[in-house]
Amino acid sequence: MTARGPEPRLPRVVRPYVLTGGRTRPTGPTLALDTTIRTTVTDVTAPPRPDTPEAARIVELCHTPTSLAELAGRITIPVGVVRVLVGDLAANGTITVDPPTPPGVATDVALLEKLLDGIRAL
Amino acid sequence: MASALFEARARAQRAPVSMKIVVAGGFAVGKTTFVGSISEIEPLRTEAEMTVESLGLDHAGPLADAKRGTTVAMDFGRITIDPTMVLYLFGTPGQDRFWFLWDELVRGAVGAVVLVDTRRLDDCFPAVDYFEHLGVPFVVAVNLFDGVATHHPRNVREALSVPANVPVVLCDARRRSHVQETLVLLVEAALRRVNGAA
Repeated sequence: MTARGPEPRLPRVVRPYVLTGGRTRPTGPTLALDTTIRTTVTDVTAPPRPDTPEAARIVELCHTPTSLAELAGRITIPVGVVRVLVGDLAANGTITVDPPTPPGVATDVALLEKLLDGIRAL
Repeated sequence: MASALFEARARAQRAPVSMKIVVAGGFAVGKTTFVGSISEIEPLRTEAEMTVESLGLDHAGPLADAKRGTTVAMDFGRITIDPTMVLYLFGTPGQDRFWFLWDELVRGAVGAVVLVDTRRLDDCFPAVDYFEHLGVPFVVAVNLFDGVATHHPRNVREALSVPANVPVVLCDARRRSHVQETLVLLVEAALRRVNGAA
């Protein structure tokens, strides 16, 4: 019997971008790590149905509004892949993407004071 | 007034304003522990991929597939301040060569916590340089690995030669109250910056 080389590593069942048909760029709105995504459809059996388990999981998780970074962490697929899947789901109206956080929040005195009070009260 | 606008918008959409704090430092300095001590969810490992875009190239050709395979992990935690505000904590990848991800994390952040292990002080130099260069408010938190202070903050401050407006504190990353106090100092420093006092 011929000696075989080392077994290939099998870290994932499929390569991440197989889930997106090889696309690496999302359609639609810009998605930052802290962008909130929320599911808009209430009847998950009604069309359009998510066509992969990962997309279905996004729809399920986002019944509670969830950030992009948290989605990627929970589904354990890279942020870039989640961006593409979220773009598709937003395009067919299954979910909505909140507007990006305005650039001024980190220097807004009232918001910083509120954050400070909130952390002190934890 | 800007804040009134943000709050009105948040109410209208029932969408909380998201604030962001970055936790940086060398490899295995306790960033995951720090995030986990105060996050309301178990800290998540979120993977980001080094993409062609990250490299600043439009077409990487045959390189694109190879680069696609490079993933880096960051820690993610969440604290709900109230129904209108949520704070996200992002632990940077330990390897400081992943600047592209740091740039995205730091954009719009309130500030950063630089965790320091005094046994490997030089591990934190890149993070200190990075936040100083960008003018991002930050605090230096000396992690007490064995719960015992082996270095006075003043000595760490001198060794790092950070300016007086940067707080240097001792912090046992396992203790929630220490992490909380460190975050308080950071937001206070950010407020002083905005108010022009520092």
